[in-house]
Amino acid sequence: MVSARVIRNLKSEFKTSALAKIGLALVVGIILVATFAPFIAPHNPTEQRLPQSELPPIGFTDTNEKTSSEMVDGEIQTVTETEVIRADSDFVLGTDGLGRDMLSRIIYGARTSLAVGVLGTLFAAVIGVPVGMYAGYHRGRIDDTLMRIADVSLAFPSLVLAVALIGLWGRAAVRVPDPFVVTGLVSGMPEYFVLPITVVIVVGLVNWVWFARVARGEAMSLRSQEYVKAARALGASDNRIILSHVLPNAITPIIVLGTVQVAAIILLESALSFLGFSGTTLSWGFDISQGRDYISSGQWWIASIPGLAIMLSVIGINLLGDWLRDALDPGIQGEGGAA
Amino acid sequence: MSFGRFVFTRSLQGLGVIWGVITVVFALRFVTPGDPINAVAPLDATQETRRAIAAELGLDQPLYIQYGQYLFDLMVGDMGFSYIRGQEVTGLVFARVPATVELAVTATIVAIALSIPLGVISATRRNEPVDYGATLFSLAGISTPNFWLGIMMILILAVEFGIFHTSGRGTDFGDVVISVVGPEPFISTLASWLKYITLPSIALGTYFMALITRLTRSGMLDELGKAYVTASRAKGIPETLVRYKHVLRNTLIPVITVLGLQLGTLIGGAVITEAVFSWPGLGTLVIQSINLRDWPVLQGSLIVIGTSFVLVNILVDTVYAYLDPQVVYD
Repeated sequence: MVSARVIRNLKSEFKTSALAKIGLALVVGIILVATFAPFIAPHNPTEQRLPQSELPPIGFTDTNEKTSSEMVDGEIQTVTETEVIRADSDFVLGTDGLGRDMLSRIIYGARTSLAVGVLGTLFAAVIGVPVGMYAGYHRGRIDDTLMRIADVSLAFPSLVLAVALIGLWGRAAVRVPDPFVVTGLVSGMPEYFVLPITVVIVVGLVNWVWFARVARGEAMSLRSQEYVKAARALGASDNRIILSHVLPNAITPIIVLGTVQVAAIILLESALSFLGFSGTTLSWGFDISQGRDYISSGQWWIASIPGLAIMLSVIGINLLGDWLRDALDPGIQGEGGAA
Repeated sequence: MSFGRFVFTRSLQGLGVIWGVITVVFALRFVTPGDPINAVAPLDATQETRRAIAAELGLDQPLYIQYGQYLFDLMVGDMGFSYIRGQEVTGLVFARVPATVELAVTATIVAIALSIPLGVISATRRNEPVDYGATLFSLAGISTPNFWLGIMMILILAVEFGIFHTSGRGTDFGDVVISVVGPEPFISTLASWLKYITLPSIALGTYFMALITRLTRSGMLDELGKAYVTASRAKGIPETLVRYKHVLRNTLIPVITVLGLQLGTLIGGAVITEAVFSWPGLGTLVIQSINLRDWPVLQGSLIVIGTSFVLVNILVDTVYAYLDPQVVYD
């Protein structure tokens, strides 16, 4: 339960840990950027401007070698001109191969990462926590069956299973109207946010087992507590005991796991969109896969910048997770599946 | 329970999980939208071809017979036929295994060799610059997408400086071994192998390096605070002996468990690392077969990946039980 003691621990840990402050700042920053993307983004992230494609970020220049052939005195001569491409102050982080503004794409990409990370984690928890609680509380055959299912599920790497399921089911996405654009507060921005719903479902199906394991462990240790026995003696039903006594007392490690999972799922989502298994093209992983084609020709920023965005977000969430873990439950060791 | 019996029951349990893996993969055929024949037949197959394939594969038989047939075929090493590639799945899949094993093993060795010393130094020099450096590195390492790290290394070390190859597997470890006795000069073969393997194995290994550094550091700090350490020091046992013989040994036991559990992450990571470096392993095969809708190959690859995960975990548990006299065999 979130008691006064828990809040006190969180505060004291926060005061002494510089890393906790950095983590919280990063996470709050990303949430704000993702939420208010239409206000912050300088351009429409999907708008293509071919004449302004491949512009370097501010402070950098790029060169472009143009070869042209001319007829001089009846002979063909090849002329190589080196053209210097300068940054444009309109595009702070430069533009991609289709002239789309990198900064705006990074800002909008935060929405995809955060939405998939949070929704995927919630979905995994919604499946895993009840199953784990039930199995850990009742033990016996149900528990054995669950643990065997968990073993089988763990035998498939998350990424491989996710890729296989999306390959079989296809890449579906739902279009969620952007409230700021629909109400006319901002104009010139995409009207819809494309949520890759298959990715959300699949990462939930792939990662529920981590929640089931933690919930099971907690339920197993809580079922023999005095107050649970007392509730049972008073005639409370098992489901009621699980809901009102076991779950609230197991919530702390579940929250800590949830934080780690958001980070892991953001990494998984970026890997899926990098491989082309996402339903959206406005995602950091997708941008990295686009930028990959430009690294041998010198346009390093197209692939580099989205990766930095992923790294910073995941560092922020991991720091937040460390803070929660140290403050709430010093007993938990770092475990939990990553991509 | 004796050690022998532990190994036996653990293996039986593992067999159960492998059976589960096979069942899930068999069931995948039926979660494909549409007719299960779609899972096997090429997209442009005519009605006759489809019927012929159905009859040949026994898809017109009742489900339990199909399932039994599937299990039986697997036991004799037959994973089916890829109509899209016109090849037996078993040969196709196992041809890719050495490349993936080479990559995964190299990455693990690099990760362990660098991370355990780093974790030890970090724990024994707590709050010194080297500890901050190691902590920062491990935080960044567990937070970086490995495919991006791979691309960045290609950008800097392969494209800019030309030290390594950008992709492929031109020389494999087998060539290096042969060159010791064979006509090819050993040094240049080794150098050629390193040019291919270095970047992918760093890209794949960094996450584990970071994770093990973290675990070693926190495990060592825990152990260093225990009473037996104080007792050993009081008895006058040299500090190096205390640290490396007692503390490090106890620290490594949980590290081994986590390594076993994270093996799935390693294989998952290999899939995407292979995609970045065009490494001709199981990972690229999985991606290719999905893009080609070549389900028999996908199923075969999944079975090999799942089974090897289970087998390696049995091995890890056995080593663990052997190393740790306190382990309870149940």
